[in-house]
Amino acid sequence: MTDSKYFTTTKKGEIFELKAELNSDKKEKKKEAVKKVIASMTVGKDVSALFPDVVNCMQTDNLELKKLVYLYLMNYAKSQPDMAIMAVNTFVKDCEDPNPLIRALAVRTMGCIRVDKITEYLCEPLRKCLKDEDPYVRKTAAVCVAKLHDINAQLVEDQGFLDTLKDLISDSNPMVVANAVAALSEIAESHPSSNLLDLNPQSINKLLTALNECTEWGQIFILDCLANYTPKDDREAQSICERVTPRLSHANSAVVLSAVKVLMKFMEMLSKDLDYYGTLLKKLAPPLVTLLSAEPELQYVALRNINLIVQKRPEILKHEMKVFFVKYNDPIYVKLEKLDIMIRLASQANIAQVLAELKEYATEVDVDFVRKAVRAIGRCAIKVEQSAERCVSTLLDLIQTKVNYVVQEAIVVIKDIFRKYPNKYESVIATLCENLDSLDEPEARAAMIWIVGEYAERIDNADELLESFLEGFHDESTQVQLQLLTAIVKLFLKKPTETQELVQQVLSLATQDSDNPDLRDRGYIYWRLLSTDPVAAKEVVLAEKPLISEETDLIEPTLLDELICYIGTLASVYHKPPSAFVEGGRGVVHKSLPPRTASSESTESPETAPAGAPSSEQPDVIPTQGDLLGDLLNLDLGPPVSGPPLATSSVQMGAVDLLGGGLDSLMGDEPEGIGGPNFVAPPAAAVPANLGASMGSGLSDLFDLTSGVGTLSGSYVAPKAVWLPAMKAKGLEISGTFTRQVGSISMDLQLTNKALQVMTDFAIQFNRNSFGLAPAAPLQVHAPLSPNQTVEISLPLNTVGSVMKMEPLNNLQVAVKNNIDVFYFSTLYPLHILFVEDGKMDRQMFLATWKDIPNENEAQFQIRDCPLNAEAVSGRLQSSNIFTVAKRNVEGQDMLYQSLKLTNGIWVLAELRIQPGNPSFTDLELSLKCRAPEVSQHVYQAYETILKN
Amino acid sequence: MISQFFILSSKGDPLIYKDFRGDSGGRDVAELFYRKLTGLPGDESPVVMHHDDRHFIHIRHSGLYLVATTSENISPFSLLELLSRLATLLGDYCGSLSEGTISRNVALVYELLDEVLDYGYVQTTSMEMLRNFIQTEAVVSKPFSLFDLSSVGLFGAETQQSKVAPSSAASRPVLTSRSDQSQKNEVFLDVVERLSVLIASNGSLLKVDVQGEIRLKSFLPSGSEMRIGLTEEFCVGKSELRGYGPGIRVDEVSFHSSVLLEEFESHRILRLQPPQGELTVMRYQLSDDLPSPLPFRLFPSVQWDRGSGRLQVYLKLRCDLPPKSQALNVRLHLPLPRGVVSLSQELSGPEQTAELGEGALRWDLPRVQGGSQLSGLFQMDVPGLPGPPGQAPSTSAPLGLGPASLSFELPRHTCSGLQVRFLRLAFRPCGNANPHKWVRHLSHSDAYVIRV
Repeated sequence: MTDSKYFTTTKKGEIFELKAELNSDKKEKKKEAVKKVIASMTVGKDVSALFPDVVNCMQTDNLELKKLVYLYLMNYAKSQPDMAIMAVNTFVKDCEDPNPLIRALAVRTMGCIRVDKITEYLCEPLRKCLKDEDPYVRKTAAVCVAKLHDINAQLVEDQGFLDTLKDLISDSNPMVVANAVAALSEIAESHPSSNLLDLNPQSINKLLTALNECTEWGQIFILDCLANYTPKDDREAQSICERVTPRLSHANSAVVLSAVKVLMKFMEMLSKDLDYYGTLLKKLAPPLVTLLSAEPELQYVALRNINLIVQKRPEILKHEMKVFFVKYNDPIYVKLEKLDIMIRLASQANIAQVLAELKEYATEVDVDFVRKAVRAIGRCAIKVEQSAERCVSTLLDLIQTKVNYVVQEAIVVIKDIFRKYPNKYESVIATLCENLDSLDEPEARAAMIWIVGEYAERIDNADELLESFLEGFHDESTQVQLQLLTAIVKLFLKKPTETQELVQQVLSLATQDSDNPDLRDRGYIYWRLLSTDPVAAKEVVLAEKPLISEETDLIEPTLLDELICYIGTLASVYHKPPSAFVEGGRGVVHKSLPPRTASSESTESPETAPAGAPSSEQPDVIPTQGDLLGDLLNLDLGPPVSGPPLATSSVQMGAVDLLGGGLDSLMGDEPEGIGGPNFVAPPAAAVPANLGASMGSGLSDLFDLTSGVGTLSGSYVAPKAVWLPAMKAKGLEISGTFTRQVGSISMDLQLTNKALQVMTDFAIQFNRNSFGLAPAAPLQVHAPLSPNQTVEISLPLNTVGSVMKMEPLNNLQVAVKNNIDVFYFSTLYPLHILFVEDGKMDRQMFLATWKDIPNENEAQFQIRDCPLNAEAVSGRLQSSNIFTVAKRNVEGQDMLYQSLKLTNGIWVLAELRIQPGNPSFTDLELSLKCRAPEVSQHVYQAYETILKN
Repeated sequence: MISQFFILSSKGDPLIYKDFRGDSGGRDVAELFYRKLTGLPGDESPVVMHHDDRHFIHIRHSGLYLVATTSENISPFSLLELLSRLATLLGDYCGSLSEGTISRNVALVYELLDEVLDYGYVQTTSMEMLRNFIQTEAVVSKPFSLFDLSSVGLFGAETQQSKVAPSSAASRPVLTSRSDQSQKNEVFLDVVERLSVLIASNGSLLKVDVQGEIRLKSFLPSGSEMRIGLTEEFCVGKSELRGYGPGIRVDEVSFHSSVLLEEFESHRILRLQPPQGELTVMRYQLSDDLPSPLPFRLFPSVQWDRGSGRLQVYLKLRCDLPPKSQALNVRLHLPLPRGVVSLSQELSGPEQTAELGEGALRWDLPRVQGGSQLSGLFQMDVPGLPGPPGQAPSTSAPLGLGPASLSFELPRHTCSGLQVRFLRLAFRPCGNANPHKWVRHLSHSDAYVIRV
C-alpha cells in the first residue's frame, strides 16, 4: 500500500466518520460532529458533501446545535441551492418559535442565504418578524430588509417592506431605531431619488432623542444620518449642535468623529459673531487632542482628519501645537503626518517653538523623516516672514553638518526662500557653493545651478562652477540639463565678455546633441533670441519673476469643503472624494457644506440639495462623452498650426512658426517662468461683457437673456456665460461668448483660476463641427495664471477646419489644456456669427432662388413681442449681416425680404411679416427658405436673439 | 459597512473567515491582504490600505491580525474601535487571544461574530448583552491552577516583575462553564499611567504628559456592585484647587458608562456594577504640571574629536523618586552616528550592561533605587564621519547622536499621585471564600526623551 493511498483512505474515512457521528442519536455527539465540520470549513476543507446530514440535525430544540447548523448553512447554501430548499420548512417553522432567539436566528440566517428560491419563502416570516413583540427580533428583521433589498430590490418594494421599515424609525427600542436608520440609509444610497430617509424637523427630533439612548454603534448610524440633513436656518443648526455636543466626550472615537462631522458641517451655517460659535470652537479641541493619545492606528486616522480640520478652521487647534510634537517611538507614518500639521499650525506666535523642534528632527536617524523636517523648515520660512531669517540660519547650521542628504534638502528649500524673499539672504551663497561637489540628487543639483545662474553677478567663479557641471552634460537628468542651459544663458547676459565660449558650447550641446525635444526647443529659442535681439533676450531671460505662493500643498477649497462633509470616513483618510474610490455602482451623492446664513431670517435656499438633486443645472458638458473623448484625445493639443496665423501678435511670427510646438512646452516647463510677456501680445478684447449674466445658468439661458447689452456696431454679442464650471475643471473656470466683427469671428474667453496653484501652458482645440470652426491662432495666455486671477482673451476663429455634422447643428465641442489636465466642454454658438458680409442678394436673383427652392424646404416661425418697428428691425438685422433685399407694405403690414449667406456658402432667404400688435410691440412672422433646411431652426434662433436684445 | 472579517495568524494563515455580504472575493482576500501588508513601503501607512474597491483596516493584537474589509466609504474609526473591542471580547470569551485559543474555539468565535455583526452592521459589543445570546462554551486547554506562580505578569499591562498575582489567573475565559463556581470570585484593579516627557538639551522641560487609566477585570457575577475609593484630594480641571493640601490634579477625566458618579463629587468614590470581563473604569490625562518631580534626570556630556573620529559620551543618570521606591527595567537608548565601530565603557554598577546594536547604544539598568545617581562613560570610534581633520576636540555633538530615550517601569508609583484608597465589594459570596481583590499601581514610560 503506497502512502498516497493511505492518505486518501483516511480522508474518505474522515468524512465518513463525521457522517456517522452526525447521524448519531446522542445530541452531544452530534454537536461535536457539527463543530468539527465547521472547523474543517474554516481551514478551507470542502465539507459540502455533508450537507444533507447537517441539515438533518436542524430540527432540534438545542439552541447551540441549531446555531451551528445555521452557520454551516450560510456557508454552503449558495453552492447547493437545491439542497437549501430542504431547509426552508424548518426556517419558516423556526420563525414562529416561542423563543425570540430562535425567531431572530431564523430570520437572520435566511437573509444571509443568497439563493433566489429562498427569498420568496422569506417574505411572510419577515413581515411577521418586523412586527414582532420582541425588540431583538425586530432589530434583526430590520437588517434583514436591507439584505433582501440587496438580493431582490423589486421584491422589497412590492411587498411594502420599506414602509414598515420607515415606521420602525419611531420604534420604542433604540436598537431597532438604529438598525432601521442604518438599513434605510443604505437602501437610500442605491436609490438616490427615492425620498426614503425623509429628514424633517420632526424626524430629526426623534433621532436626536434616540441618540441619547442607544448603544455607541447605533449613535454612529444616527449621527451619520444627521450629517446629511440641512437645517432650515441657523437657529435650528444651533439647537442640533447643542444636542450633539455631549457626544464629543464619548469614549468611542468613532462616535466622537461622527459628532465632529455634524458640528463642522452645521457650524458653516452659524454666524461667526455668535457667542455660541466661539464656545463650539473651544469644545472641538479637547476631543481631537484626546484622540492623539490612542494607539498609533487610531492616531494616524485622527491626524489625517485633523489635517483637514486645520485647513478649514485653523482657529480650533491653534493653541495645541505641542500635542503634534513627534515622539521618538511614533511610527514613521504618524511622524510625517504630525510634521505636516505642525507647519499648517505654524504662526508668528509659535514659530520659535516649531523651529526648535524641526531642528531636532533634522538630526534624527530616519532619512525620510529628516528630509521632510528640513523641507518643513523651508516651508516655515515661506509661511511666516518674521521667521525667515532664523530659518535660514538654521538651514546653514544643518549644511555645516555635511551630511549628504541634509545638505541637499537644505539647498532645495533655500532656493525657494530666495524666490520668496529676493535680495535678502544672498549672503549665504558662498556657503552653498562650498557644497557643490557633494550634490548627487537631480533636484538639489538643479536648485544649486539655478542659484548660481540667478546670482551669477555675485559669484566670482560662476563660470567655472557652471562649466564643471557642463562636463557631464549628457549624463544629467533633464531637469538639470534645462536648468543648466538657462543658467548659462543668464550668466552670458550678465557677463557677456568672458562667457561667450561657454554659452556656445551649451547651446550646441542642447540643440545638436540632445534627443530631448524640450531641451532642444529651449536651446533654439535662446539661440534665436540671442542672435536677433540681445536686449530683448535680456528682458525675457532676466525678467522679474513672480513670487512663489505661500502654501502650495493646501487642498483646493472646493475639494476641502467636500471632504469636510466626509470627516471620519475613509475619504478623510485618503483625502479623496468617495467617488474616487468607491465602486461606481452605488450612487455616490456629492455632498457640499451648507451655505452660511447671515441672519436667522435669511431665506437663501440651501444649495445642498437632498440626495439626487439633478446636477443637470450645470451647463451640459460633453453630452456624449464616449465617442467625443475618442475624437478629442486623438487630437494634438499643441498650438494648432492649421489655419493662417492672424497678424495680431507683436513679434515676428516667423520665429514662432519655426519653433512650432515647442513654444508652449517651453513656457510651461520653465520653473522660474521666464515670463514670456514679450512673445505674444494677445489681441485686445474689446468685448462688452455682461456681468449680470447669471453664472451657472443653463445654456438655454444664453438666448433668453433680456438684460444683454447689444453692441453698437458689429453683430450682436451674447453676454458671457459659464461654459466650464471650476468644479469640473480642477479650478479652471471658463466663460465666454462669440463675436463677429468686421468679417472676423472670435471667441471671447474669460479664464478664471479658482484653484490654488498657478496655471500655465494653456492650449485649445475644437472638435470637428458643422461649419469647420477652428482656432486661427494658438490660445495665448501671456503669463501664468495665478490663483484668483482672471484673464480675458479673444481667440480668433476661422472656418477652414474639418467639417462634421453635429447634433444640434451649432454644437461646438472644445478641449482646453493647461498644466494640470485636459478639460472638455461643449457649447452652442449663435449662428449669426457665421453670417458673412457679402450676404446681400440682388432682387432678381432673390426671386428666382425663392421660386427655385421647393416649398417643403420652407419653415415658418413666430417671433412675438418684438419691441421694434420695421425700420429698426431692418437696421438691427443688417448690422448682423442679414440684409433686406426688398420691402413692401401689404394691408398695413410691412413685409421684408431678406437674404443672408453662411460662411460655407449656403444662402438663406427670408420673408418677414411685421404685424403691429399693441403700440410698443410687434409680432413677426418669419418664413425661411433654404436648400439646407436643417439650418432654418438656428437661423430663426439667431433672428430672435438679435431682435430681442 | 463591513464586508468581511478575518483573523490571520502571524504567518498569514487564516484562522477565522467570515463574509457578511456575499462578497465575491472569497478567501483569496485574506491572502491578498497579507501580501499587501508585507509588501508595503516603509513610510506608507498600513492602517488603511486598499486594493481596487476593497479597503482593508486591521489591527495587530497578540501576534494575530484582525482585519475588516469594506467597499464603502465608512468610518475607519468605527472599524478600528470594533476590531479592538473584538480583540477584548475574544480574549474574555476564550481566555486569551492567541492562535491556539482561537483555533480551539472556532464555533464560539463564529457565534460571537454573528451576534456582534449582522450584515456588516455592528449590533453590540457589550459583554452584558452578548451573554444572553451565546450558547457555546469555551474550550480551555489546560486546567487552571491558582497556585501556579511560576510565570508572572498581570493582565493588561505588559510588565514582567511584580509577583502579585498568578499570570494565568487573568488569562482564563470570563465565562467558564456554568457549573464551576469555585474560582470565580476575583477582581483585578490596575491604575496604570503612561508618562511621556520631552526634555530639551539645555535641561528645560518641553512637555510632560501623563495618560492614566483605571482598569478592572472582574470574574464576579455580573451586576455585583463595587465601590472604588480614590484619593480624596483628587480634583479635575485647572481651577479646582482644594485648600493647601497636595492636590492630586488631572486635566480631563472620562468614565465608563457603567460608572455611577453620585458619590464622586463629595467623596471621590466610584460606584459601579461591572459586567464580567475587562473594562476601563476611568481614563484621565494630565499635562505640563506634574505634582512630583520627574523620575529621571539625565546629564550628558559629549566629547567629539573629528580628527581622530573619537567620540566620548559621559552620561549621568539621577533618579528623583522617593528613596523607598525604585524603577525597574530601566533602559537608555541613545542613537549614534552611522559607522560607530567599537565601544568601551565604564559603568557605575556591576549589574548594568551596555552594548551597541542597530546603530544605537543600549544601557540597561535592571534596578534603580530612588535618590541614587548612576553614571556611564562610553568611548566609541567613528571613522566614517566627514569633517576636516586636525580640529581640536569639540563639545558639539555630531549628527545622528541622540536624542536619548528612557524606558522604565515604576511599580507602586503613580506620577499623578492618584491612589486607590479602597475597593469594596457588595457581593455576598455564596458559601465560597471571600472574593480575592488585587489592586496595583504602576507607571511606565511611553516616550521619555532627553535631547543631547
